[in-house]
Amino acid sequence: MQSRDGEAVLSVKNLTKRFGSKLVLDNISLTIEKGKTTVVIGPSGCGKTVLIKHLIVLLRPNSGEVYFKDRRIDNLREDELNGIRTHYGFLFQGGALFDSLSVAENIIFPIRQHYTISSWKEVEELVKAKLAMVGLDGYQNYYPANLSGGQRKRVALARAIAMNPEIILYDEPTTGLDPIRSDVINELILKLQRELKVTTIVVTHDMTSAYKIANRIIMLHNGKIAADGDADHIRNHPHPVVQQFINGQVGDDDLAVLRMSGTISQAQFLPRDFE
Amino acid sequence: MLAALGARAMVDVTNAGRFGRFVWGAIVASIRSSTRPGTYPLVWTQMLIIGVRSVPVIMITGAFVGMSLAVQAYDQLAGIGLEEHLGVLINISVVKELGPVLAAVMLAGRVGGALTAELGTMNVTEQIDAVRSMGTDPVRYLVAPRVLACLLLTPFLIIYADLMGVVGGAVVSFSQLGINSTAYWSFSASGVELWDVAVGVVKGFFFGASIAVISCYKGFTCREGAHGVGLACTEAFVLSFISILALDFALAVIFKGIYNTFWPFKSLIA
Repeated sequence: MQSRDGEAVLSVKNLTKRFGSKLVLDNISLTIEKGKTTVVIGPSGCGKTVLIKHLIVLLRPNSGEVYFKDRRIDNLREDELNGIRTHYGFLFQGGALFDSLSVAENIIFPIRQHYTISSWKEVEELVKAKLAMVGLDGYQNYYPANLSGGQRKRVALARAIAMNPEIILYDEPTTGLDPIRSDVINELILKLQRELKVTTIVVTHDMTSAYKIANRIIMLHNGKIAADGDADHIRNHPHPVVQQFINGQVGDDDLAVLRMSGTISQAQFLPRDFE
Repeated sequence: MLAALGARAMVDVTNAGRFGRFVWGAIVASIRSSTRPGTYPLVWTQMLIIGVRSVPVIMITGAFVGMSLAVQAYDQLAGIGLEEHLGVLINISVVKELGPVLAAVMLAGRVGGALTAELGTMNVTEQIDAVRSMGTDPVRYLVAPRVLACLLLTPFLIIYADLMGVVGGAVVSFSQLGINSTAYWSFSASGVELWDVAVGVVKGFFFGASIAVISCYKGFTCREGAHGVGLACTEAFVLSFISILALDFALAVIFKGIYNTFWPFKSLIA
């Protein structure tokens, strides 16, 4: 279970996941070190999100095992998992705020589910502190519909850290944000890691963000790990697929397809097709 | 061809199994919620949305059922000189069959559609996953309050539908068809028993539970996108409607059996 220098908090062994006949994760083994920031990169649809959803067992593997601190969790019942999930914070791609609840109620939600609240004053203080941490104190009574995309993600982040998790999972935290807002999120990720000493796992295809926050970068390709190392290792990786991805270039095959369908007639229906 | 058929059957059996597990989970969660006062606020909210706000539309449904029955049945009964028995016919039909079934269908449309759309959107925007990721059982938090609210309030809504059906039928009979009100009520009172009313109301528990469970299930298993949510709503309504009719038939047979065991002889015309 030990890998390299750090202590392992999360690990997966021979993880395989299929959706129907589509193989999404193919025999992946991986260890996440405590207190480090691991970034998982890869093209859209390569199974990054599926991978981190397995880490908190929102999805169950077809085969393989998931361990949280040496305890196997992929075969636990949902009610047993609920206790373990309180050690996690999960930031969903769109934030996944409950739109019927206000910002403050969203942040109180996880606390309310696991503790009987005796002092509302303390809870208010806590909400204030968590919102201040993401720079949104004063927004307690707003509803998610009245917030911008970046603000929603920050509120969702405040909710994810409400229970003081040991592990925070981020699903594409910077997707859909402008470069400045993206950098705000990057700084937040770094700040939370520094101040709360949490283990961070980020799924992204934003290379600027990946280089900035990562201690370790893992690239997924076709359900397998194509590259695994620090930022320099990835930058200088010999594999062409890795180079193409980090430099944002279209592959030769894709390019050929794009050029080929340039002639209009092939893509259009002719009157005789309808006869 | 055979392979496709087999694959289709596999999918259907898997879905049936999933639905069965969901229903079981919903039942367990609902029973647990009903013993925990902490979850009552969630149930009150759903009762307001599901029950209280449905009252007007249910009353309108009931009233029109009674009124139409009066208009339609009058000619047949008048033809054989039994128009004063119109009350028995209207009121039996309303409290035993049409009131409960049409109220339930109305609820399937009004409440079931809204439940599926709400939970479906939550599913698509990962809010249900978010509930799970924070260590809460979404069936307990989202499904149980809705099932309890539907289960407990559908019988009351049926009583409203019955009441308005009786009133609507009577109003049309007296004002339009000129039936003597004393005779109308006395025949009705001797023809309609407490049993008939009770049968209709008890059906409400079954209708309410099936509407809530089916709609929540369809919401939870909704596919992505606007099309997915729309499809889930349609399927939820169609399935709820069919299950209401099927349950109605099954319950009619069962209640008739029970009735005949206890009261073997009953003449139709008092």
